[in-house]
Amino acid sequence: MRLSRRGLLRAGLAGTAATALGGLTSGCAVPTGSTGRNMVLWYWSGGLSDTVVKEAKARYDNVVSLKAQQIGGYYRSKLITTMAGRAHIPDIAGLKGEDMASYLPNAGQFVDLRTLGADKLKSQYLDWKWQQAVAPDGSLIGFPIDVGPVVHYYQQAVFEKAGLPYEPDDVSKELDTWEKFFAAGEQLKRRIPGTYILTDVGSVFEMSIGQGTTRFVDRDRHFIGDGEHVRACWDRAVEAKRRGIVSDIVTGTPDSISATEKGQLPSQLNASWAAGDLKLQYPKTEGKWRVANCPGGPSNVGGSFLSITKACREPERAFEIITWMLNADNQAQGFVEAGLFPSTPASYEMKKLREPDPFFGDQITMDVFGPAAEKIPVAFNSPYDIALGQPIRDEIKNVGVLGKDPEKAWSDAMSKCRRIAEHLGVSY
Amino acid sequence: MASTIKGSRRRGIALHAVLVIGLLLSAFPFYWAVIMSTHTSTEIFSYPPKLLPGSHFFENVRHLFDNIDFFGSMLNSLLVAVSVTVLVLFFDSLAAFVFAKFEFPGRKLLFALLMAIFMVPAQLAAIPQFVIMAKLGWIGSMTALIVPAAANAFGIFWMRQYMKGAIHDELLDAAKLDGAGFLRQYWHVALPVVRPGLAFLGIFTFMAQWNDYAWPLIALTNPDNVTLQVALSQLNGNHGTTDYGMVMTGALLALVPLLIVFAIGARQIIGDLAKGAVRG
Amino acid sequence: MTTLPAVEKPPTVLQDTPAARPKTGFRRYWHLYAAISPFYLLFLAFGLIPVGFSLYLSFHRWDGLGSMEWAGLAQYQYLLTDSDFWQSIGNTIIIWALATFPMIFLAMVTAVMLNSAVRFKNVYRFAYFLPNVTSIVAIAIIFGSVFSTNFGLMNALLQAVGLDQVAWLNTPWGIKVAIATLMTWQWTGYNAIIFLAGLQTIPSDLYEAARIDGAGPVQTFFRITLPLMRPVLLFVLVVSTVTGLQSFAEPQVLLQTTANESTFSGGPDHAGRTMVLYFFQQTFDNNDFGYGAAVAWGIFLVVVLFSIINWRLVQRRGEA
Repeated sequence: MRLSRRGLLRAGLAGTAATALGGLTSGCAVPTGSTGRNMVLWYWSGGLSDTVVKEAKARYDNVVSLKAQQIGGYYRSKLITTMAGRAHIPDIAGLKGEDMASYLPNAGQFVDLRTLGADKLKSQYLDWKWQQAVAPDGSLIGFPIDVGPVVHYYQQAVFEKAGLPYEPDDVSKELDTWEKFFAAGEQLKRRIPGTYILTDVGSVFEMSIGQGTTRFVDRDRHFIGDGEHVRACWDRAVEAKRRGIVSDIVTGTPDSISATEKGQLPSQLNASWAAGDLKLQYPKTEGKWRVANCPGGPSNVGGSFLSITKACREPERAFEIITWMLNADNQAQGFVEAGLFPSTPASYEMKKLREPDPFFGDQITMDVFGPAAEKIPVAFNSPYDIALGQPIRDEIKNVGVLGKDPEKAWSDAMSKCRRIAEHLGVSY
Repeated sequence: MASTIKGSRRRGIALHAVLVIGLLLSAFPFYWAVIMSTHTSTEIFSYPPKLLPGSHFFENVRHLFDNIDFFGSMLNSLLVAVSVTVLVLFFDSLAAFVFAKFEFPGRKLLFALLMAIFMVPAQLAAIPQFVIMAKLGWIGSMTALIVPAAANAFGIFWMRQYMKGAIHDELLDAAKLDGAGFLRQYWHVALPVVRPGLAFLGIFTFMAQWNDYAWPLIALTNPDNVTLQVALSQLNGNHGTTDYGMVMTGALLALVPLLIVFAIGARQIIGDLAKGAVRG
Repeated sequence: MTTLPAVEKPPTVLQDTPAARPKTGFRRYWHLYAAISPFYLLFLAFGLIPVGFSLYLSFHRWDGLGSMEWAGLAQYQYLLTDSDFWQSIGNTIIIWALATFPMIFLAMVTAVMLNSAVRFKNVYRFAYFLPNVTSIVAIAIIFGSVFSTNFGLMNALLQAVGLDQVAWLNTPWGIKVAIATLMTWQWTGYNAIIFLAGLQTIPSDLYEAARIDGAGPVQTFFRITLPLMRPVLLFVLVVSTVTGLQSFAEPQVLLQTTANESTFSGGPDHAGRTMVLYFFQQTFDNNDFGYGAAVAWGIFLVVVLFSIINWRLVQRRGEA
C-alpha cells in the first residue's frame, strides 16, 4: 500500500524533471536502492582492497552490476542522512568500527545477517569483532572487515639522524613504554629542531583509551568518562604537550600533510589500516617508513564492517558478495594492499601476509601487527560513546593545539559531557 | 593655473595608483590559483611559495578527471542554474510588475510578508524541506534544487524597485487605452523596458545557483550525481586525497564557466546592479 | 486561487485607484493575484509548511530514522544553556563585524575614488566585481592555501618583512580573521559598485553649491554625500547582515580536514563554527533533528534582532 502510493507519486513527478535529469547522469541508483541488476556499495578510500572490489565486480558480473562508490568526508553522517532521505541508499554499506555502536540503535535500517545464514560462518571470525555488530535485539547488522591493532609508524632515517633506535626491533624494545616514547620525542626535537614525534596530543589520548577495556559510557547507560581510566589517558596526553613533543598542527589539514611529507612529523601512532592511508597519501615516501610496537601495549582503533541495508532488493545476493569479499583469502589481500588487518584468523598463516612490504623498506610487517592483534583489549562500545567522547576529544585538542590550560579544559569537557548526557538520557 | 593642473594630474596618478592596488588585490587569488594548479603538491608544500606558474597543469587536470566526474557535475550545475534562472526571471518579473504598478487589496500586506520572508534564514526550513523531499522522492536529484528556487523574494523585491523607476505610468496608460490586457501590458510594455534589469537578475540568479552549496551538500545524497560545488568540496575533504595541486586545478576550472557568463553580462551587472538599491 | 484567504475580502480603504468598482474585488484583481501566486505557493510548500513543521519538530526528539518522541520545551531549555550555541553566535557576530565594517569602509572609499576617476572606470568596475562572481567553495580552497601555516602566502609575506609566522587556521583569532578576510575580499567590490551607483545619482550641482560655499572635500563628503547615501547604506548593511549572519560555506570549506570527524566542526576550539555550521552539525552529523530545529529557531531570532537593530540605526539618523 505504502509502496504503491509512493510509486504513484514518484511517477507523476518524475514525468517532469526527474526523468530529464536521469537522462543526463549515467546509470545511478534509482530512489530506494537498486533495481534488480544494479547493486551499489558504499565504502571509503582505503576501506576495502581495490583488487578485491574489482574481482568481486568481475566475479558477479553475470548476475549484478556492482557499483562501488568511495564516499569522502564524514562517512557516518553521509550514510545516516541518506537513509533519512530515503533515496539513493546503497545496497551494501561499509560501517566504520568507531561508529559501529552508534548504528546499533538503528538496527532496523539494516538486514539482520542471521536471517541470511551468517551464523554458519561465525566460527571463522574473531569473536569479539563479531559481537560488536550485534544489536541489543540480537540481530547482526555488520559482517567483519578488519580489526585495527595500533602500531608505531616512523621514518627510519629521521630516527637514525636523531640518534634514536631505528631498527624496528630496537624501536619496539626500547620505546615500549609511554615514558620512553616521550623521552625519545624530546631527543628528536632536540637533535632535529622543528621535528615532532607526534602531530597532536589526540593520538596519545586515543591510543591510551584503546589500551583499556572501559571507555566513556558503560552497559548501564551510565557516563564513566569522568573516571580514573579516562583521566589517566588525559594526563598522559597533557604530559606529551607539556614536554613539547607534539606539534601544534591539526591532523588532516594541508599543513599536517606538507609537514609529514617533509619529514617534520616522522612518526605516528595509528591502527594497521593507517598503513593504507600512508601509502595513498604519501606515495613519495615509499621505503622510508617502518613499523614498531605501540608504546604502552596493544590497542585497537577502528576496524570496520560491511552491512546490507533494508533498501537492498536482493539481500541473498548481497550476502553472497560480502561474504566472498571478506573470506580469509580476500582479507589477506586487504592486508597486503590497504593494511586492513584480517578478522579471519585463518588468514594469519597465509604466505601473502609474510611478504616483505617495499613501502616499509621490505619489512615483514606482520611480525609487528600479528602479536599486536592477538593482545587487543576488548572494550564495550556504547551507542553514546561518540557523543560523550567528543567533548573530551575537543578539549584535549584545545590543550594540544591552542595551549589551553589543561585543568580548565578538563572541567569544560566534564561540564559539557554532563549536559550532553542529560540531553541524551545517559545517567551521570 | 599651471600648478593646479599639475596638482590635479598628480592627484589623478595617485588615485589610479590606489585603484590599481585594489585591482591587483581583487585579482590576486585568481593568479594564485593558477600558480598552484600548475604545480605538484610537493612543490606547493615547499618554502618559499612558488610565485610563477609551473608545468604540471595537465597532469593535475588528468588527476582531477580521474577523481571526480567533473563534466557530469558541471552539467548538473548548468542544468540547475539555467532552469532556475528561466523560472525566476518569469515568476519574479511577473510578481514584481504587479507589486510595482498595480493597486489591489492586500498588496501592502503581501509585500510586507515577502520582505519578511526575505529575512527568514533558509536553514529554518532545511530539515522539514529535507523530510518533505524525502517523501516526494526528490532527495538526491536536481529537482530538489530547482523547484524550491523557482521564485524568490530577493528577485521580486529587486525587480519591483527597478520597474518602479523604469516603467512610466504614461506608457501603461497608453497601452490600457489601446485595450491591452494585463498579460499584454506585462509582455509588450513592461518586459522590453526592463530588459537590462532582467539581464541583471538572470545573471545574478545564475551565479547564485551555480555557487549554491549548503543545500546541495545535504540534498544531493547520491555521490554520483552532484553539482560542481559539492564535487569540489568532496575533493577537498576526501580521506586520502592530499593532491593539493589537483584540488586547486578543480577550484580554478570550476570558475571558468562563471567567468564566461560574467564577461558576457558584465556591463549589465555592473551597470544595473545598484539601481534597485539606490532607488530603495 | 482560493489559497489566498485575503483575496476574498472586498476591497476597502487600501484601494485607492480612481477607477469605478463595478466588480467585486476578487474578480477584478484575480489576474494580479495569479501573477504573484507562484512565489507564495512555492513559499507555502517549501517555506511556510516546513517552517511550521520545524516548530513542531523542535518540541520533539527525532533522529530522522526512528519515531518522534515528544520532548516539550526540553530542546529549548537545552538551547538556552548550550554554551556551544552561544559560542557559535559569538563567532558569527565577530566574523560578521570583522568582515562588514572594513568592507563597508573600503567599499565607500573605492566608490568615491571610482566616482572621481574618469578613465578606465569600466575596467576597474569589472575587476572589482570579479571576486563576487566566484564560487565560494573554490575561493575557500584557494584562501585555505593562502593562510596555511607552513606553505601559505600570508606567512611568507610576514616572514619576508621579518615577522613571525602565524598559525592562521590553528588559532581562534586567526581562523576568524581568515574567514573575515575572505568575506571582505569577496564583497568589497560588489558593495563599492552599489555605492558608486548611489554616488552617481547625487546631482552635481549640489557639489557645485558646496564648493561655492567653500566646503572642503571632507566636509562635502559628510554633509552631502553621506546623508544622501543613507538609503544605499541601509541596503548594503541589511544585505550584509542577513548574509553575514548566515555564513556557512566559508568556514566549512576552509576548516574541514581529511580526518574522520564532523566536517562542520569549525576548527580548533570550534572558533570558526558559525551558527549555521552548528545547525548543520547538530542536525546532519549528530542526526538530532529535533534539536537542530530548535537551533534554527534560535538563529532566526538572532537574525531578526540584528535586522531590527540595523534598521533602527540607519532609520533614526536618516530621513526622520
